[in-house]
Formats: sequence, C-alpha cells, structure tokens
Amino acid sequence: MIDFINYLINGALVGLLYALIAMGFVVIYRASKVFNFAQGELVVFGGFIVWWMVASLGLPLWVGLPLAFVAAAIFGLLVERVFFSRLAGESVFAMVMVTIGLLILIRGLILVLFGPQVRSFPIIFPLQPVIIGDILIPRSLLVGGVITVIVGFGLSWFFNRTRAGLRMTAVAEDHQVALSMGISVKRSIAFAWVLGAVLSTLGAIIFLSGKSLNFLASDIGLAALPVALLAGFEAIAGVLLAGLIVGIIQGLVTAYLDPIVGGAIGTVFPFIIMLVILFIRPTGMFGWKTIERV
Amino acid sequence: MDPAGVFATSFERDQALVRTRGQWVALLLLLIAMIALPHVLGPRLVAISTNMLIMAVVVIGLQINMGYAGQINLGQAAFMGVGAYATGALAIKFNLPFWLSIPLGGCAAALFGFIFGLSAVRIKGFYLALTTIAAQTLFHFLILNLPQSWFGGSNGLTLQPAQIFGFSFVSDTSIYYLCLAVTAAMVFGAYGIVRSRHGRAFVAVNDDDVASGLMGINVVRTKATAFLIGAFYAGIGGALWAYYVRFVAVDQFTLFHSIWFIAMVIVGGLGSITGALIGVFVIKAIQESFVTLGPSIVAQFPGLGGDVVFALMNVFLGGIIAAFLIFEPRGLMHRWNIMKRSYRLWPFPY
Repeated sequence: MIDFINYLINGALVGLLYALIAMGFVVIYRASKVFNFAQGELVVFGGFIVWWMVASLGLPLWVGLPLAFVAAAIFGLLVERVFFSRLAGESVFAMVMVTIGLLILIRGLILVLFGPQVRSFPIIFPLQPVIIGDILIPRSLLVGGVITVIVGFGLSWFFNRTRAGLRMTAVAEDHQVALSMGISVKRSIAFAWVLGAVLSTLGAIIFLSGKSLNFLASDIGLAALPVALLAGFEAIAGVLLAGLIVGIIQGLVTAYLDPIVGGAIGTVFPFIIMLVILFIRPTGMFGWKTIERV
Repeated sequence: MDPAGVFATSFERDQALVRTRGQWVALLLLLIAMIALPHVLGPRLVAISTNMLIMAVVVIGLQINMGYAGQINLGQAAFMGVGAYATGALAIKFNLPFWLSIPLGGCAAALFGFIFGLSAVRIKGFYLALTTIAAQTLFHFLILNLPQSWFGGSNGLTLQPAQIFGFSFVSDTSIYYLCLAVTAAMVFGAYGIVRSRHGRAFVAVNDDDVASGLMGINVVRTKATAFLIGAFYAGIGGALWAYYVRFVAVDQFTLFHSIWFIAMVIVGGLGSITGALIGVFVIKAIQESFVTLGPSIVAQFPGLGGDVVFALMNVFLGGIIAAFLIFEPRGLMHRWNIMKRSYRLWPFPY
C-alpha cells in the first residue's frame, strides 16, 4: 500500500513537471495559434543557458538564474524576429512547419555551441528527498510542483482576465479578425515566444536540477505533448489537471505493467492515451470546441 | 504550359505526360544516363545514387499524402521502417523471394499507415501530425519490445541478398539496377495516380474539404486512401532499403528521418511529383557534400570536435526548411515553372 501511495505521489509530481513543459506549448498556442513542435529543444536550450551561466561561468545562483531567464527571453524574441515576424498573415501550416524546422535548427545550434558531451547540471534544489513517514519525495519535483501550480493559475488569470491576455487570445482565435480589431499580431507572437522560452527555461531548471544534461533531454517535449492535448491547447489551468492525470497513469503503469511487458511501456503509454483522446475528443477536456471535423 | 504550336486534339493527348518530341528526347537521355551511371561513376557515387532512388520512392509517397492530399505526416520514416522490417522478416522466416516480399512489405506499411490514417477521419491539420508522431514512437516501442524472434528486437535483422534464377543482387551495381527498376515503376505509377480521378480528388480535398464533399467526393475515404498510398510507397522504399543495406535496425527510421523527408518535399515543391524527385536530389546532394567536406570543416574548427559536421547539417536542414517556407513556399519546382513560362512567352510578358 505504501508503495502505491509512493507511486501515486511521484507520478503526480512528474505529471506536474510535464504540465509545466506543456504550458510552454499552450502559451505559444494561446498567443499565436502556432503549435510549437520545438518545445523540447527550447527546454534543452534553456537548460544549456543555465548550465553555461552557473556551471561554466561560475556565477552565483542568484545572478545566474535571472540572467539565464533574460537570455532565454532574448532568444525567444530572436526566434520571432528571424522567422515568425516574416510569416505573419501566412497560413498556419507554414508556421507549424517552420517550428519543425526550428526543432532541428535549435538542436544543431546546441550541438555547435555546447557540444554533444553530457554535462552535469548545477544542483539548484538540494538533493536529499523530503521524507514523510515512509514516503520519499524528490525535493526538486516538490518545489517544482508548487511553482507549476502558481505559474499555471497566474498565467490562466493573465490570459482570461487581463486586457493584454485577452488580446492575445483573440490572436489565437483568428489572425485576420485580430488584425482588423487593431490588435498587433506580431507583438502577440513575439510575446508568446518570449514567454514560451522563459517557461521552458523554468521547466529545464526543475527537470534537470542535479541531473545530467545533453541534447537528448529534449524528449521531454514530446512526452509533454499528450498532457497538452488532454487538456486542450487553449486551457492553461486545465494543463495542471491533465498533467496530474497523465503523470499518475504513467507512474502506475510504469510500476505495475512494466515488469509484465518487459519495460518501456511507461514511456509509450502517454502516446497511447494521446491517440485515444484524438479519436474520442480531439479538443481535449477544456479546449475550445472549434476543431474542424471532417 | 505547352510551347507554341502544341495543341491537344483528344483527351488522351491532353492528359499525356510526355507532350512534345523534345520531352521524349529528354526522357530517353535521362533513362540512358541512369542506366549508364554505374559504369561511369565511382562506387561511392553509385551508392549515393542508390540511396537517392530509395528515398525518391519514400518521398513520392509523402508528396502524394502531404503535397496532394494536404495531410501533414511526421511518421513517414516509421512507415518506411515497417516496410523494411516486414520485408526482412518475410525474407528470413518464410524464404520468400524478393519480388514477393517487397510488395508485401509495402502492403504491411500501408496497413500500419492506414490505422493512423483512420484518425484523419475525425481530425485534420496539425492534430493529425500528432498522431503520426505517435506512430513514430509506437513503431520504436513495438520493434524493441515484441519478441526477439519476430523482428530481432534491438539486434536488428540481417538479410540474405535478393535472389532470382540463381542470380543474387550482391554487388552495388546490381542492387542499383534493382532499385532503378522499382523506382521507375513507382514514379510512373505516381504520375498515373495524381492525374487520375483519385489524384484530382486529393487536390480537391486539400483545397476545400467541405466544397469537395458537396461535389460528391467521399472526403473521409479520399483522405484514408491518400494515407494508404503514401504509406505503401514508404513501405516499398523501406523494402528496397532492407535489400540494399541488408541490415535493418530501428535507429534507421527516426523522427529526424521523417523530417528530412518533409524537407525534401518542401524544397522540391508541394504538389508535384517531379518536385519530389528534385527535392530528394538537392537535399541528398547537399547532405553528402557536407559528409565529404566534413574532415576539412573539422580542421577549420578543431575545438568543436568531429560531431560538428552532424551539428552543422542540422542547422542547415532546419534553416533550409524555414528559409523555403518564408521565401519560396512553393518550392524549386514552382520557380522552375515560372522561368519556363517566361522563356516560352518571351518577348511577351504574358
């Protein structure tokens, strides 16, 4: 029984981590109507910036981390300036394909700038786990979970209640309509990428703290896809719930099904969930019901 | 657009692929060049050409699915892998000859693709791309976790060379001719498909699925058919790959290979079979020149180590996808058509 609770809690916390990464997808979608396939690469890039600031340059944490966030924001802005500002008004297809190009481009950039070696990521959160009775909880995931919940509700409030957020929501609904209402689509997309890059860096800090880092860590981006899909791409707070659901299911499947099947089903199971969602309810739990069906 | 003085006087003439005497000459010259190629070029270039022929089959499948029917497919490499594994398993377990195992490999891939294509019944756009990513992950998982005796698990499959009437396709030249024959047939078939009723239905569904539904096209069936055909082509390409390399492993068919294929389609031009062929040639040629120039690049930047070639190739590939989408979204084929048109109309503007 105590094992079960352990799996449950750890699954839930990993799920919240997925939710944080998925929030990057959702924020970019929510402010620009672009589905960003390069999310995992943004996370790794953010991770490498933090590594470079803290471990390589040796800056103290309280200087390095804010600087890393600023650098990530500049990088996000750069991506928008170079690629997406030229595509404003073009079809969404072109923009989504550009993010696929970005996925490879950023991976190449990481390899050129930081090399393929495995680096040890600085320890941001203390390594010893929190112990309550017989339950072991990794400290980074616990703190990360709390941060995720705060950020999730904060962003949800921003996008649903403030004027600036609602403007971006209009961009996500329809570029042309937003333009004709006097809303700057370009500025909205720029903001989306800045926010997406910063959130990815935050995700990288929580995900990688005390672990090893190389370009293969970008798999987390694909692992977070099912979470974003289950919530629906427009729902920011909904991502938290979806993250919990996917994380717990994955944790339990890994614990109880892996020995039977012979490994790795835990990593594929979210994708099976994703396929089921796509067949049953492509809008997700909280998405806008505007997906065109055939 | 036809040159001056060429008028179609019957439907057959109007639909003909080769319209003028000049085009017949060009086609014959191309065929002769392709046949003479292994006797002229060195072994490395022959190997690259064989590679290009195999990729051409796969990319044409993607072109039909993505360029004509407008469905983003990020799982073409997985479909290719299914074809390769099915062919390998059939050839090893049941000793099927290659002229049977290659089409069956294609059918296996078509079936696998069709399962994911079925989701096109309910969703479209980039949501569909998500299911094809799932196809990619599921393919890896299945190959690595199914019993080793089926598909070799992480060890991969090792094939015997293809054999017919006691002749075995061992040498590079012979396998080149095998691939050339199959690719030629597949290219011809693709031209047939896209100008048939089905091909026109693909284009119509791509342009506007509601309107095409009103005109009596079965939209769902058309989309599923496009997926089926695309995956079949991928499977045939995979089968050729299996007989060419004679070793099939799961890391030959990753998401990144799928993205290479998409890059080829975008660079060549969406919605043109010739464009797909051009895309394969251009991208593959650039890729190979990176590999060839690799040592000198490494010498230029010794601090970066040997992986810099792979890294630069990634930067280049990502850059080229983005650059084409921004500056030339309809690909090289479109530019070529514009040039040809203005040449034929010269000195008049239109």
